[in-house]
Amino acid sequence: MTPFMAESMAAFAHLHTASAYSLRYGTAFPGVLVRRAAEHGMDRLALTDRDGLYGAIKHVQACHDEGIAPIVGVDLALQGDETRIVVLARSDGWAALCRLVTAAHHAGERGEPYVTPGMVAEHASGPGGLVVMLGPRSGVGRAIAERRDDQARALLTAWRSVVPDLVVELVDHYGYRDTNNATRMLALADSLGVPAVLTNAVRYLDAADHQIGNVLDAARKLVPLHARHIEQPTAHAYLKDGREMALVAARICGGDPDRAGRLLAETRRVADDCVLDPVEIVPLLDPERPKLHLPEIGEDPVPLLRHRCEDGLIDRGMARSDDARRRLADELRVIENKRLSGYFIAVAGITDMIRSMGVRCAIRGSGAGSLVNYLIGVGEVNPLEHGLLMERFLSEGRRGLPDIDVDVESARRLDCYRAILGRYGEARVACVSMMETYRARSALRDVGAAMGLPPHEIDVIAKAFPHVRAKQIRAALSDLPELRDSGLNDRSLQTVFRLAERLDGLPRHIALHPCGVLIGNSTLRDRTPVERSLLDFPMSQFDKDDVEEAGLLKLDVLGVRMQSALAYSIKEIERVDHEKIDLDAVPHDDEATYDLIRASRTLGCFQIESPGQRELVAKLEPRTMHDLIVDISLFRPGPVNSDMVTPYLEARHGFREPRYPHEKLRDALRETYGVVVFHEQVLKIIDVMTECGLSDAEKARRTLGTPEGREIVRSWFVPLARRNGFAGATVENAWKVLDAFGGFGFCKAHAAAFALPTYQSAWLKRHHAAAFFAGVLTHEPGMYPNRVILDEARQCGVDILPLDVNRSGTDWLVERTGPAAAAAPAAGQSPPGGLRIEEMGRGYGLRVPFSAVRGVSQAEVSRMVAGQPYTSMADFWDRARPSRPVAERIVEVGGLDAVYGLRPGEPRWRPGKLTRRDLIAQVGALDRASGVVGSSEAAVQLPMGFTESVTPGELPEMTEAEAVEAELSILGMDVSRHVVHFHDDLLDAIGVIRSKDLLKQRNGAEILVAGVKVATQTPAVRSGQRVIFATLDDSTGPIDLTFFESVQAHTAATVFGSWLLVARGVVRRTGGRAISLRAVHCWNLVDLDRVWRAPGGGIDAVRAILDEVPVPGAGVGGRPIQYGNGFQLSPYSDIGPPRDDHRRLWHASSGSSGPTTGR
Amino acid sequence: MSRLYGDPIEVWVRDGQPAQFVWRDRLYTVREIQDHWVVAREWWKTTDADPGERRFWRVEAATGKEIGTYEVRFDTAGDGWLLLRAWD
Repeated sequence: MTPFMAESMAAFAHLHTASAYSLRYGTAFPGVLVRRAAEHGMDRLALTDRDGLYGAIKHVQACHDEGIAPIVGVDLALQGDETRIVVLARSDGWAALCRLVTAAHHAGERGEPYVTPGMVAEHASGPGGLVVMLGPRSGVGRAIAERRDDQARALLTAWRSVVPDLVVELVDHYGYRDTNNATRMLALADSLGVPAVLTNAVRYLDAADHQIGNVLDAARKLVPLHARHIEQPTAHAYLKDGREMALVAARICGGDPDRAGRLLAETRRVADDCVLDPVEIVPLLDPERPKLHLPEIGEDPVPLLRHRCEDGLIDRGMARSDDARRRLADELRVIENKRLSGYFIAVAGITDMIRSMGVRCAIRGSGAGSLVNYLIGVGEVNPLEHGLLMERFLSEGRRGLPDIDVDVESARRLDCYRAILGRYGEARVACVSMMETYRARSALRDVGAAMGLPPHEIDVIAKAFPHVRAKQIRAALSDLPELRDSGLNDRSLQTVFRLAERLDGLPRHIALHPCGVLIGNSTLRDRTPVERSLLDFPMSQFDKDDVEEAGLLKLDVLGVRMQSALAYSIKEIERVDHEKIDLDAVPHDDEATYDLIRASRTLGCFQIESPGQRELVAKLEPRTMHDLIVDISLFRPGPVNSDMVTPYLEARHGFREPRYPHEKLRDALRETYGVVVFHEQVLKIIDVMTECGLSDAEKARRTLGTPEGREIVRSWFVPLARRNGFAGATVENAWKVLDAFGGFGFCKAHAAAFALPTYQSAWLKRHHAAAFFAGVLTHEPGMYPNRVILDEARQCGVDILPLDVNRSGTDWLVERTGPAAAAAPAAGQSPPGGLRIEEMGRGYGLRVPFSAVRGVSQAEVSRMVAGQPYTSMADFWDRARPSRPVAERIVEVGGLDAVYGLRPGEPRWRPGKLTRRDLIAQVGALDRASGVVGSSEAAVQLPMGFTESVTPGELPEMTEAEAVEAELSILGMDVSRHVVHFHDDLLDAIGVIRSKDLLKQRNGAEILVAGVKVATQTPAVRSGQRVIFATLDDSTGPIDLTFFESVQAHTAATVFGSWLLVARGVVRRTGGRAISLRAVHCWNLVDLDRVWRAPGGGIDAVRAILDEVPVPGAGVGGRPIQYGNGFQLSPYSDIGPPRDDHRRLWHASSGSSGPTTGR
Repeated sequence: MSRLYGDPIEVWVRDGQPAQFVWRDRLYTVREIQDHWVVAREWWKTTDADPGERRFWRVEAATGKEIGTYEVRFDTAGDGWLLLRAWD
């Protein structure tokens, strides 16, 4: 080995490295690249992702952790051609780099940023420099590769004249002519006196990753894999070590060790010039005094916040309370110590502004625990009243910044964003972004397309999988019975599955974070690059973690559909009944509302409508707001996991005495009968037993999240509690509770904030049912599709009114249809069991809106509403100007029935009487007439006789079944009749039990039930099984079925793949009014119906099918995820919030498989 | 002008590079490596998990007093050498 090689080995620095944050290009995350560089003994590493700085913060953090000096740049496209350049920030050039990236996104189309040499020159020559690298992908490199050396020289000369710090980048990936091209690039650079550096244009961690790179190339370009679409024909674009790079240098320099040495030295010099100070870019790396970038207030924020809090004490009537003053002093001390006064002032300004716009706005999460937030009007929850702690939100020991979250009406969320932007200006505000990453379905789609599979096959394959991680694909195939038998597990698809798994977790595109808004000062755009979101909002390239690490403040403004639904309901009540309701002033002790909840008629209500919650509220029987807070907190993985539900219910209903681990803990645990439910209680336990103070207790609680953390806390907690005089057994007991609680559990402040809209929605449902359903149907806040809500409305006595061109509106409207039911008895006077569900909505109807029609555009809806009333089909066609398919659909679902007095159903042939089908034929005639004349203006001048002439009775009327079928396909719901009614004869013949009669069944009875599937969920349960919960609706109410793993082999495919189901189940009575069924078998009702109607079929054939004993098959495989406290979780259970999926006829949680190929 | 062959040959390797080879019963000694490149196989057309790569060398080699330029290829999956072209 020559001396220069030995010397340069450790010192080589990669200046051109793409991570996975180069979307659909890179393959490795910044952290692993940095670790590999450290293993190679490197002391500098650049990250130069394509089109943005998405991974920059993570790179700087990882470098800081590994003791490597970070370098950051960006790989940008030039305007108008396929060429790219790399721009590195010099040591003082971070702001210039951010601004250049922002400018590139501003110049280009969304998702296709570009720069011009002029833009680069402008940013590179300002204060704080940039280094521009021209490599093989630049115009110069392309010209060299195409042997147009004169053009290459001209281009390089042109760049040199505008950019002060220009270098030529040499790359040799061992491809055909790579070395030759690099050698000639070097010669060109030398002849013009431009410095040359060596990079490896890194794209992979290891050479083996190049197959993934090939797939990403094809996915990015939307083409099947082919040699001509591949960017690197070899596998050499990996993070090579210094020795390998020295070999490359030697190749390019034709074995001239002197020239190779100079090349490597020059590379090193550029790297040295570009080393960034990590703490400058990621202030939170400095734990002591992080430099935050707070909004400018215009005056000293400290006295300003103090004055506002003083005013708040008086306004809230707390000026004389010593408790409040003490608490305020504590909070202000922490806030001022952390220099956060300005943040609170800014947030209060924003919430004031949102409320002044007339938007419902509520504080959510731990922020509700702060008295300061209450006093300055950010939130309406008084933390002293509910025993909420500030430390859960903000404390001395907590690293980072406090999060204030506010909920606003979902329909007005973007208005709120616009108002914030309007107040602070685009230069100071940006939305937070997030990366959408590859999961099983998306990975299968992209790999399938790259491998050239036909699109419909790809669709079938992707949809068959539940929403699992991409790396679980092959495990899911062998674990889940419905996939095992699907025929997908075929050898020919193995390559697709193998590759799809390797895309796991790679970012695919950037999206607007659902709630984060970044509020900075005038230097914001020196700190983060900003691009435009799909809706044209300025959006930071950093995600929510990066933003915090970068010392920027964010406010979460979350759109909550239920708030919109509530606002809409109140508007409808005012319009129809002329009654003004102040929902926030409704008393919280209304018996009738709690009766409704205890009867578990909570479909449509906030937080308590899922099957599990309906069961829990029936058992818990809430009577107060505090009960609701507990109910919401209990229905979480944490409490379910450490089995807090049963002891709580037993103590609540007096079956056993509340137990406290120690007398001193009675205070903290009394509100929940000795059971730990809230985070706040964990803090109090730790504080009481160790006397460490709530701030340190909060630190300990956060540490409980990981198994290692729990060990650390244990070794600190146990001896300290012993020293404080607690007996060994007590400490052991208390520790067990903390250990089980883990990182789960629920913040009481959060639950208190949730309980309010829960109660409010139940109150509206009880007292203004029709208006409540109108709000829910319009804003769809819950988990159930609209047809389920509509059916619930029908059961509550609300009339469902069909689409009518003269009465329907844009959204669901309430109409009076008769005298209302007598007002609900006043609080305390309702007789037990006096709740009459079917009376609740009496006298009101809900009108199907135009917007429910499939395919209708917003403009069409506005014209239809504006043109009312209409006198005929032709009148509607001329003035509302619907498209032909929309007009036909409106007729099909009866939109003109009222105009013409039509009625679907028997008899079909009505000579001389008009039918819906006649009208559909007329739509065709009208369409052709407008087509012939050419313009709508001329169409109006046609003789009325022509378009008005319809021969009545020429075509048969639709049957009721056809009408319902049309409603389902056009409106997504059955309006005129419930679909199950068409099968009543068969269901009666086989003896199916209806939902309303379930309560009469004895425990343990095996019965048949049937209905429309409205939801399937696979939530996390204590046993670690994958349990499928399915809800059926049979027009008399919901039926909840539980499918355990033992029966899934013969039922899973049917449950996931059918819509109308018959099931056999064993009755389980779980409480006074709570009942559910353990399913043993199930069938597709449509299949049974076919057998029943088939010649030679009949009821005996159906019974034979129902009596077949299922062949026992393997259940669900997959090793449960084991938690430190013994809690097990099926890998296919839903964790995290449900994804907002494409709405269909039923709700399927993310753990549910889609339709399988068997059908 | 070069001529195309495609004959299997036997090659002695030194420092990862061809040093000598036998082609049509004559021994050639490599005097200079003129170029070296690799091509990854179109793996998506095969069922193998790792179809390997093809490594090409263009060398100046001598047999006796005759000196010529030759292109040889090594296939990592097949573990065999071919003589592809000759300029002699």
